[in-house]
Amino acid sequence: MTEYFVKLRYYTGDALEEIKEGDLKSLARKYGVQISYEKIENRQMKEGFLMEDTLDKQIEDISQEVITVSGDREGKFSDCIRALYKKHRCPRTVYSLLGSNEAGEKIAKGLMNLYGGW
Amino acid sequence: MMKVLALNGSFRKNGNTEILLKQALMGAESEGAQVEILRLTDYKIGPCRGCGLCLFRENVCQVKDDDVSFIFSKVNECDGVILGSPCYFLELTAVIKQLIDRCWILGHRIVKIKKPATVIVPYATRGWIPYISVQSNLLLNLMGLTKINEAAICTQGISEVVLDQEAMDLAYHMGKEIALAIREKDLTYKGEEGVCPSCHDWLVRILKDRETIECPTCGVRGKLMMVDGKIRVKFEEKAWADNRFRPEVIYNHYTYHISPSKDYFLRTKEERKSKSQKYREYLPG
Repeated sequence: MTEYFVKLRYYTGDALEEIKEGDLKSLARKYGVQISYEKIENRQMKEGFLMEDTLDKQIEDISQEVITVSGDREGKFSDCIRALYKKHRCPRTVYSLLGSNEAGEKIAKGLMNLYGGW
Repeated sequence: MMKVLALNGSFRKNGNTEILLKQALMGAESEGAQVEILRLTDYKIGPCRGCGLCLFRENVCQVKDDDVSFIFSKVNECDGVILGSPCYFLELTAVIKQLIDRCWILGHRIVKIKKPATVIVPYATRGWIPYISVQSNLLLNLMGLTKINEAAICTQGISEVVLDQEAMDLAYHMGKEIALAIREKDLTYKGEEGVCPSCHDWLVRILKDRETIECPTCGVRGKLMMVDGKIRVKFEEKAWADNRFRPEVIYNHYTYHISPSKDYFLRTKEERKSKSQKYREYLPG
């Protein structure tokens, strides 16, 4: 059985709608997948802006919201990713899917091109 | 004394663009401005090399053997800009795009420099100018300027625009307007409103979900609807937070989309080298 596993890394400003854990739980129930959420916040207020030096940081360590989705049914997994993109738009960067497995990344990337990579 | 700078994107000396710009400068001068014009094609503007070093190291462009720093220093010294370019094929001239690409070094500014700019575009055939505002908006925004007006003027042969008194009066007025905007520190938009309240353009892009539209310049999303038989573009109030030229959005773009690519670049170094080897060997340049 193929396991689909994806990490969607939304960096500051990428998600058009606020990511709420309650919504993620509802999606997990609706599509029969596992979803977890992690928020990394390293910005600090400087000169009136929330700022962060990201040039020499690891991708995983800079401020971001990570939605991890996993499941073993391709259709349900795809539908869930599509729903996430529709609500928040898809993540923006080439490294947005870092940490995903190959099967999950293939689906998440394909849907980005279809529904949100523009 | 206030300084108004005209940037001319036309190669032609004394062509319609230059005449209109000079007419606008005369208007600015009538309000007490000191004026200057740069014909961009007289300067060397090399292509952006895409090296990224302006972002990753010392904030200095690695292209040293051209005049872009001089042009940017002129923009920096002046109090307002009048941008002119002919439209030959749907958009502005190549030298404008070349300058846009070199704005990487400026693009990560998070504070607008609060200077007004206005745009004058002579063109020949009605209906052949859909993208002119995209480019002028992009260049002005990247340079930190605020557009207060723009005009597209239908004229064709060299210097024919002098036969169009209305166009000449408009250019003169726009020059005065820039000087007044500088004096009164008034950066409000005085031109015709388009569908986008931010860049004032008329373009919208339909996204692939076929439900959402976007201002292609500002990146703000909304909906199309029909109201009393007319197309209406509705942008949600909260969508303006995503305007790509807002200081916070620019900052986030450079901080989270560009800078972390260094880590990704380093992580993928060996795989990149190995997989790109055959391209280095194939048709070597």
